Amino acid sequence: MRISLSWLATYVPLPPAEELARRLTDVGLEVEAVERVGAALDGVVAARILSSERHPGAEKLSVCQVEAGQGAVQVVCGATNWKVGDVVPLATPGTRMPAGHRIDRASLRGVDSHGMLCSARELGLSEDAAGLLILPADAVPGTPLARVLGIEDVVLEVNVTPNRADALSHLGIAREVAAATGAAMAYPESGLKQQAPAASSCLRVSIEAPDRCFRYAARVVEGVRIGPSPAWLAGRLEACGVRSISNVVDATNFVLLERGQPLHAFDLDKVAGAEIVVRMARVGEKMVTLDGVERTLSPDDLVIADRDRASALAGVMGGGDSEISAGTTRVLLESAWFEPTGVRRTARRHGFHTEASHRFERGVDPEGVVPALDRCAALIAELSGGTVRRGAVDVHPHRRKPLDVELPWARAGQVLGMPVSRKEARTALLALGFELRATGAKNGKFRVPSWRLDVTREEDLIEEIVRLRGYDAIPETLPAFLSDTPAQPHGALVTERARQALEGAGFSEAVNFSFVAPEDLRPLAPGGGPTGIPIRNPISADLAVMRSSLVPSLLKVLAYNRRQRVEDVRLYEIASTYHPREAGAQDDAPAREDLRLAGVATGRRHPVGWSAGGEPVDFHDLKGALEALLESLGIEGVRFVAGGATFLHPRSAATLEWTSPGGSAVALGVAGEVHPRVAAAFDLPRGVFAFDLSFPALVEAARLVRGHAGVPRFPAVLRDLAVVVANEVESRAVLEGVRAEPLVEDVTLFDVYKGAPIPEGKKNLAMAIRYRAADRTLTDSEADAAHGRIVERLKGELEAELRG
Amino acid sequence: MDLVRDLEALAEGARQSIASAPDDRALEELRVRFLGKKGELSAVLRGMGQLTPEERPRVGEVANRVRDEVESLLVRARQRIADDRLEKELQGSRIDVTLPGRRLLPRGHRHPVTRTTEEIVAIFARLGYEVASGTEIELDWYNFEALNIPADHPARDMQDTFYVDEAALGRVGGEGAVLLRTHTSPIQIRAMKRAGAPPVRVVAPGRVYRSDYDQTHTPMFHQVEGICVGPGITFADLKGTLAAFARAFFGAGTRTRVRPSYFPFVEPGAEVDVSCTICAGVGNRAGARCGTCKGTGWLEVLGSGMVHPKVLENVGFDPSAVTGFAFGMGVERMAMLKYGIADLRLFYENDLRFLEQF
Ligand SMILES: [Zn+2]
Repeated sequence: MRISLSWLATYVPLPPAEELARRLTDVGLEVEAVERVGAALDGVVAARILSSERHPGAEKLSVCQVEAGQGAVQVVCGATNWKVGDVVPLATPGTRMPAGHRIDRASLRGVDSHGMLCSARELGLSEDAAGLLILPADAVPGTPLARVLGIEDVVLEVNVTPNRADALSHLGIAREVAAATGAAMAYPESGLKQQAPAASSCLRVSIEAPDRCFRYAARVVEGVRIGPSPAWLAGRLEACGVRSISNVVDATNFVLLERGQPLHAFDLDKVAGAEIVVRMARVGEKMVTLDGVERTLSPDDLVIADRDRASALAGVMGGGDSEISAGTTRVLLESAWFEPTGVRRTARRHGFHTEASHRFERGVDPEGVVPALDRCAALIAELSGGTVRRGAVDVHPHRRKPLDVELPWARAGQVLGMPVSRKEARTALLALGFELRATGAKNGKFRVPSWRLDVTREEDLIEEIVRLRGYDAIPETLPAFLSDTPAQPHGALVTERARQALEGAGFSEAVNFSFVAPEDLRPLAPGGGPTGIPIRNPISADLAVMRSSLVPSLLKVLAYNRRQRVEDVRLYEIASTYHPREAGAQDDAPAREDLRLAGVATGRRHPVGWSAGGEPVDFHDLKGALEALLESLGIEGVRFVAGGATFLHPRSAATLEWTSPGGSAVALGVAGEVHPRVAAAFDLPRGVFAFDLSFPALVEAARLVRGHAGVPRFPAVLRDLAVVVANEVESRAVLEGVRAEPLVEDVTLFDVYKGAPIPEGKKNLAMAIRYRAADRTLTDSEADAAHGRIVERLKGELEAELRG
Repeated sequence: MDLVRDLEALAEGARQSIASAPDDRALEELRVRFLGKKGELSAVLRGMGQLTPEERPRVGEVANRVRDEVESLLVRARQRIADDRLEKELQGSRIDVTLPGRRLLPRGHRHPVTRTTEEIVAIFARLGYEVASGTEIELDWYNFEALNIPADHPARDMQDTFYVDEAALGRVGGEGAVLLRTHTSPIQIRAMKRAGAPPVRVVAPGRVYRSDYDQTHTPMFHQVEGICVGPGITFADLKGTLAAFARAFFGAGTRTRVRPSYFPFVEPGAEVDVSCTICAGVGNRAGARCGTCKGTGWLEVLGSGMVHPKVLENVGFDPSAVTGFAFGMGVERMAMLKYGIADLRLFYENDLRFLEQF
């Protein structure tokens, strides 16, 4: 809300602007900006034209001597609407004009000019470019133009939080200033003069929806002449960012900004039947609002209707039919109290956020309805030459009972953690307009001022006390009670280990939006599978569904990085995916959120360097990274089983299977080359690898603290073994065949070879086997026997042939 | 005694040639020449058969002495050659120490949002807070109603809300609206309900969503929420806790300022400012107005307040017996201030060239 300090100063004495801004911020009315109005006219001063003569070299120019406070200066001028002795605006050298250019000392066709005499248009004051702006003859030369025009002002931009409807006006802010500074308030008089006959003889008001309109008061002003507002009024409104329209409309806006009570003026002659009915809209009822749009109303919309039709959306916006126009002579002025949530629903339904709805939604002062009406009627009469009919038509079905709140004297100190004396509490509350209704040893009872609808319980009183006293007064302590130091939960430790393992394997972390385009998920769900959970009001089509997989986001980031010419990319993300919940789920979460750990890799295996590098990443690089991850989490016995998911290459992917201690197989996730068609859909080439793991499954499988087996005390015997098997035989089968021999401590596959002299369709696997017995030194013959058993087993089970 | 003379001559020849041998290969040749099976010493000893039994021990003694001498000459010569070689290397050409180091895999980097979240959470963990989480697709009741933000309340304007298609979740109408949580505050509610009774001391990081996308807003961002509820918790505790946090996070010299504000789920409510991290709270740098704090010397970083009694009632706590405070902060904002990141978009582009700087 914009607060004009010259206006505010008419109600309460003010400290300097910067201090005022700080004081208001300290009581909870945050001042976001302090703006000097008229600053655009800096450097422009009033100047009296002393004499003039024709320019020696140009017919249309005059050379003037002007007095601008510091002796005569010479200015060349092209306008003709002035005479010697007039006072006009002079832009002195150095002035930055509203259009952006700078006025400098110049020579115009050989004659020096020390500045520029200006039109209203050149100063950005109006569209009038006909000639110089002629100022009042009594303006003192040298006076800044903003002061001459009375537009010199300071405006505070105050951020009024939704609970403080009472501060959405100059009087409301003045009340806070008075409370904070101890200065006295001067409330404006309405100055209302009324004349017979009574308003009630020409206007009837009825309320058919008393739950939505607690009070409706109206006055009639007759003999009105619509015209422009005087400069002081237009200036006040413009300082607050409200456009001046006409004397009557400006009067309603002035009172709105003064008191926070929205008012509406109707042309009484256009109110059919001279009758106001406050009622709910009828099904299908239509109305043209002031913005010229025809709207179909909802039966939940409250309208101000005449005998025939709706003529305003109550508390939100007026209608075009009964609008004040140049020919209006009889004004019906409305001041009402509408139920806040109803106003809010109507405003939102029709996409409005008006000065009126903003205030009604937050709750205007129920006791301010009639004073605002009187003030505005008097102002309209004064500005337009009209007369106010006697009496208000005031329908008041819902009378508000004043609210009294008890404050246990000790309570403020308990909540704030500092002593608050009874006197301090009382002083603060009385300064803010609360009344002390009763006082006892333990409690005080305070009556809440009518404009503070947000104050309903003792905590609210405590806030009032402390915000007036200043939060700085509160000491800094730490909570006294001690809980146990909570152990780091297993899940958090697994998360940290997993991150470290992946970062060690060269994967950086990406954080992506949880929403994606449905098309992004489609390549992962061929056959019309689910494509995320739709958002009803997405911010864009690209961010329309909650993702059911992390992979598309990561592929998009890969593509983004490749477009930036970053080609070696490894990324991971730990985040939730979103799914409909299963029937019978125990908690009350509306959706199932599965935490996943996914990653992608593309580009080169190692960075190209002077010594090596440059080979592309392949499946086994990804597998190596995952093995390092599993090892760091203490997950043992994971099998990579051929075949992954539909988004992966059918011949180059695996499922990670882990067997729980209970013996059940748990799928941890999948890994492999991204299916070439999926890659193409994301503008990616071949050679993109991805994994997608269930994080809860990893957490379940992880054993971060394991037992240990000591260190072997007897020597090992080493033997190499090379066998030839068919290509289809998985290396795992060969290695398992080796490990089945009890004396084998470890086996390392150190070479896989295809090609001559190995026959077509076969491969040679070379292994280093380490034999060891835990309780004795193994003899060569024992090791030979074990080696022989392995060879026989591989021959029998896998048709392996021994190679020398 | 020709043999003795021959042996002495052999020894003399060995001394000279070994002393001048240039390298290991030459030495090996000399070893074979003097001591090998077909070498000179063997040739001399073959003549021993013609000696008388009286002469043999004496010649044998000389032969052994010569063999020992040649062997030790060879050992010393090898050492000399190795020493020469090492000395030559130590004085020779240098390696290029400026060639880049050999790195098989550069380390990956953690996203600054995660890093910052971890830093914040770790500070509160040291203060005894447990870490909690909650669902992102949330019920209106947890996100708004339980936090004292009823339907049609203007405070809902403070947070533009995304709503979720309930049919896609298999929900029938009338079960309450489903939305993307607009703040981490619903985790307060879930944490207090889960605990069942005070005290509750919880810190909760997470993703949050608001329908706002421009220079200074992204539709998804991160918050960290905290709540501390128990008997006798005061506003002074709130101030002390957050001042301690600010010093731990931004540095020991950081000052805090607490001023009244409004959040529906706290009363009294407070905005917490910290002294500007760029200009150290002065408001200007090198004579120019500080752009980060707009010359005020203060940065808004936290919303907080004493937990509203209605919120305590909503989770079944007795507001006359327990009090508490709650606070919340935006992780991206904290990261921007701490790491001097000027452009919010960088967080969600995931450009590796950005991520690698953390
Ligand atoms: Zn600063």
